Amino acid sequence: MSEKPLRLAVDIGGTFVDAIELDTATGEVRFRKAATTPRNPAAGVLDAVAALDTPLERTGLFTHGTTLGLNAVLERRGARVGIITNEGFRDIFLVGRANVPDAHMYDFTYARPAPIVRRHRIAGVEGRLDYRGAVMEELDESGVVDAARRLVDEHEVEAIAVCFLFSFIDPSHERRAQALIREACPETKVSISSDIAREHREYERTSTTVLDAYIRPIFERYVDDLEASLRERGFDGRFLVMRSGGGAMTAGAARLSPTNTVLSGPAGGITGGAFLARALDRRELITFDVGGTSLDVCTIEDGRATTAFEATLENHPLLVPVYDIRTIGAGGGSIAWLDAGLLNVGPESAGAEPGPICYRRGGTLPTVTDACLALGYIDPGGFLGGSMPLDREAACEGIRNTLAEPMSVTLEAAAAGVLDVLMARTVGAVRRITVERGRDPRESALLAFGGAGPMFAAMCGHEMDLEEMIVPNAPSGFSAWGMLSAEVVDDCSRTHISLLDELPPAELASIFEELERDAAASLRRQGVSDGRAVLLRQLELRYLGQEHAIPVDVGRTLDIAAIVRAFGDGHEARYGHRMDARVQVLNIRIRAVGEAEEPMLRELPPRGAGPCAPAPGSRRAWCFTTRRMSRFSTWRRQDLAPGDTIAGPALIDEGTSVTVMHTGQRLRVDRYGHLVIAMAEQGER
Amino acid sequence: MRARIDGATAEVVRSYLLSAAREMKATLVRTAFNPVIYEVLDFGISMYDRNLDLIAEAPGLTMFLGANDYSVAKVVEYLGVEAFEDGDVVISNYPYWNAAHTYDASLIAPVFVPGLDGPFGYLCVRAHWADLGAKDPGYVLDSTDMHQEGIVFPGTKVFKRGEADREIIELIRFNSRMPDIVIGDFNAMVASLRTGERRLKETVAKFGRETVDSAIAAFLDHGEETTARALAGLPRGSWTAEDFIDDDGISDDPIPMKATVTITDDAFTVDFTGSAGTQKGPVNMPFGTTLAMCKVVFKALTTPDTPSNAGHSRALEVVAEPGNLFHAVYPAPTFTLWTGIVGLELLFKALAKAMPERFAASSGGDVPGFMMLGVHPDTGKFFALSNNDPVGWGASPHHDGANALIHLSESIVRNTPLEVLETNTTMFFERFELRRDSGGPGKHRGGLGLRRDIRFLSDGEFMTVMKKTKSRPWALAGGREPDANTVIAFPGTGKELRMSTRRIPVKAGDRVTVLTAGGGGHGAPRERDPALIAEDLRDGFVSPEAARRVYGRNRERYRDGN
Repeated sequence: MSEKPLRLAVDIGGTFVDAIELDTATGEVRFRKAATTPRNPAAGVLDAVAALDTPLERTGLFTHGTTLGLNAVLERRGARVGIITNEGFRDIFLVGRANVPDAHMYDFTYARPAPIVRRHRIAGVEGRLDYRGAVMEELDESGVVDAARRLVDEHEVEAIAVCFLFSFIDPSHERRAQALIREACPETKVSISSDIAREHREYERTSTTVLDAYIRPIFERYVDDLEASLRERGFDGRFLVMRSGGGAMTAGAARLSPTNTVLSGPAGGITGGAFLARALDRRELITFDVGGTSLDVCTIEDGRATTAFEATLENHPLLVPVYDIRTIGAGGGSIAWLDAGLLNVGPESAGAEPGPICYRRGGTLPTVTDACLALGYIDPGGFLGGSMPLDREAACEGIRNTLAEPMSVTLEAAAAGVLDVLMARTVGAVRRITVERGRDPRESALLAFGGAGPMFAAMCGHEMDLEEMIVPNAPSGFSAWGMLSAEVVDDCSRTHISLLDELPPAELASIFEELERDAAASLRRQGVSDGRAVLLRQLELRYLGQEHAIPVDVGRTLDIAAIVRAFGDGHEARYGHRMDARVQVLNIRIRAVGEAEEPMLRELPPRGAGPCAPAPGSRRAWCFTTRRMSRFSTWRRQDLAPGDTIAGPALIDEGTSVTVMHTGQRLRVDRYGHLVIAMAEQGER
Repeated sequence: MRARIDGATAEVVRSYLLSAAREMKATLVRTAFNPVIYEVLDFGISMYDRNLDLIAEAPGLTMFLGANDYSVAKVVEYLGVEAFEDGDVVISNYPYWNAAHTYDASLIAPVFVPGLDGPFGYLCVRAHWADLGAKDPGYVLDSTDMHQEGIVFPGTKVFKRGEADREIIELIRFNSRMPDIVIGDFNAMVASLRTGERRLKETVAKFGRETVDSAIAAFLDHGEETTARALAGLPRGSWTAEDFIDDDGISDDPIPMKATVTITDDAFTVDFTGSAGTQKGPVNMPFGTTLAMCKVVFKALTTPDTPSNAGHSRALEVVAEPGNLFHAVYPAPTFTLWTGIVGLELLFKALAKAMPERFAASSGGDVPGFMMLGVHPDTGKFFALSNNDPVGWGASPHHDGANALIHLSESIVRNTPLEVLETNTTMFFERFELRRDSGGPGKHRGGLGLRRDIRFLSDGEFMTVMKKTKSRPWALAGGREPDANTVIAFPGTGKELRMSTRRIPVKAGDRVTVLTAGGGGHGAPRERDPALIAEDLRDGFVSPEAARRVYGRNRERYRDGN
């Protein structure tokens, strides 16, 4: 390992590819950006790696975050997929759960988007199980072969998704169908639902399987090309791909289950947040990721990011674990506008082109970034390290004309109003995600990152009465940094609906053991030695009659009474009460985690002799505590050292982002260089 | 009277109030016992100022938009403002005041803030209660007066100054067949009110009462102004439509409904004069429900993208004389609110005449629901599980109607998976497919309805709540009407039976076929693009016979021209 001390992480975003390098020998971190290349995404990745100039032959680990699968679905660029299902049930995929998306509640001429599988590419074959898995009708084997041939020959299908009713109880019909199709149509890829998501609910399982078949060819091609290009450049370490619900997987594993990557866009930052929560022993965190067009929040509870077991992709349900994220459609590029006198922010964004007014690229509508510039938070000459001068006058002019004058308020009040509106929405989103989980947000610290996160962290924390706000190192590249901390993870699950008190512990144990064997084998295939594999057992439980289940961690010894108690505690924490009803098992889950090998955080040297960092200057900016323009001291982040403290109001600039703190707040630099902001009383303790 | 407050502050206060309403919803959903609340979203949550103007709302079902407005006004009128004290909670489910059937009970709480003698505002949570002691378990299909529909509270304090009144709560408990669920849901609703109360008080403390008052005035004016602007863009005139609901659940006679929509410079009036009078069975509509239905239509037409407040409905007027089908009076039975579902489309039918470019043809006409009750042979336990089925949506002037979606009156609700239905009941499904040829033909074709073939594996009861089985969904602009909703019990046997809203006993081996209606067509079928006809044939949405029959005139074109 010591011959290859370097780790690389590369995250593809909407406008930039972020690449970060960690030298595990020295703890040193380097960070570069390159432009995203949507038509050939691998090129942007290689550009970013080239910009860092990392010696690939000395790199042991390359972790990659890509939303290629998501883009394939958004742009309808996936494979031509056919479905084989039960005779009489060919419309399960097309009907879905028959609901209109919430955003279209009042749209009485709603049209469904064109399906990714047309009806003539869906075939039914005889063969039916009942809810216990008993065969009500034998599988029609020649019917399977005929259907497959017809799909391939007449309808030019490239991949076939097979999903039969109740295959989660007994997958034998699906497995037999897979063998028959492979024999009859060896060129065609086959995905079966019991392999992809062995869980109940036929539409959700079908949808997950179809999306898998849909994105797999394009994903395989991409991963193979990128891996080959890296190898050509001397890389022969491990190649990991980020998962949507935590951790990473090897490129080989990702080729087999690409659906696990599709919602991994925001995953790096949250993975990094969970890592920091454990490393700093600040185990309750709210991650606050503010980019150009959106603001994402997720909660970390006891050092683990909260995950959900089902996601939605373009209105398609996906039975894969994902981080439980709330998104507000507003970020730095969001346009502020007056709607019949009321000030609104977003959802329209100026994007990178034409961008905010201050970019001088043709933007004429004021954005959040323009408001921040007008309020003095951004140094017009220091943006992106001075490489892109901003036009503050034009920003002020735009705000004055379109917002301040029509509202009859001052320029500063209008600009501050833009941020007030944004913060009010953020507070609402954070409260909802915490209320839904039965938590009090005030028990958490806020971890702010993304280009604009540090600018709003102190304001948001003040608004919500939080004790601490933390700004990590290089916050605009934190998502890529978080990927460096990603461990190899796999999830195995099975729906097994049964009353807990009627399920013999030996049977439960044997299902757990079977899943554990699968999970351990998966980790082994991905290069994790058995000694480093940690297997976590979880049961998804509910009271009999309920629809929603909640996950409960289960120990190695299966003490049913203790499980019932833990479930009751969880139910009470989350829903406010426990019931006298019987407890039902819904899903049995194993999460397998390969533990990371080296520490990621490096303590920074303390300041040598001499005074605390000198204040290089000051700037007038808007203080949200006093609600007026005040003089803020200004600091360069690279000048700060562990133990330094700064009293608000102050601005800490680091080129790609600015940390803003207000009157009455106090900042302390911890031993790793993180900025920790608190109310002054607490900071002075 | 423009309030002296800037647009940023007004918007921030509005965000806080909306956020409070959404937190009330999150609290209700996470603490409710009854799946109808957290799955079917059968609830409505709203917040009022002291003038009883709606200031924030977190709707569940589409049809519950503004449904609480009438209820809160009636309860405050009944008790008098002076009767309210800090910490009180009032229950109301008297259908003629509460804008719903007896099982959609509302809880109302006043909110007090320092420096004001009377309430600063009111909060209301309405949700479907599992059972309040009506004549039948599950659902009531054939009541003939209100007293068969459960225990009734006109506006009764269950909490007085923060203290629960155990006597009232015990009265509720002893009048329910499912007391644990009902009391659980009651507690969930109280928790939701307390969340809202805390947030509203915090908001007033944070911004100051005068600022909040000014902000409310500003955003109510904003609601009125944006609505007026949208109203100005609508055509002026008066348009009438008629339709039928099948029957009242007692007799077989179709019931006529009629609505006239009139748009003037400053008002949008809906008049139900000419509809049938009070019916013997439970299809009568409480006036508050009628108001809510009209608010949904008006809102969708004017300001669909902003959260509701009282300003949005100031220009709306609704006329239905007491005793009209749309204005039930004591003791008329009101349990099956399906009249409102059919009635919603009745208004669209009238408006389509005014704005042919904006409206689609009828979408199946209803939310077809079914339920099975029985004892499971595996467990010996009683079960009752229901499902709402999708219908084909009407074709619009610009595109084909969507296939198999839940009716637009509750379109965000999801159906129940087959694997859940088969695991929890003894229904075995032999088919779940789009109903071929069920989309109303037209230049734009109506969406397809659904076909389910059910075989029962054990004895039990099967119940359907389905309207519009006797009249077809209407079409527009020369499009054709599709076949109506149809349920056939025991098909192909001597006892074959057509059902609409009905309960029947079933035996193991019996079958039922449910066929939901498609959407009406739009435009003449002969104008349909031959390429689309070819696609419909390829996808099997339309059979070759039907294509020949309906689209015959351009048959050669689609056969050869593609």
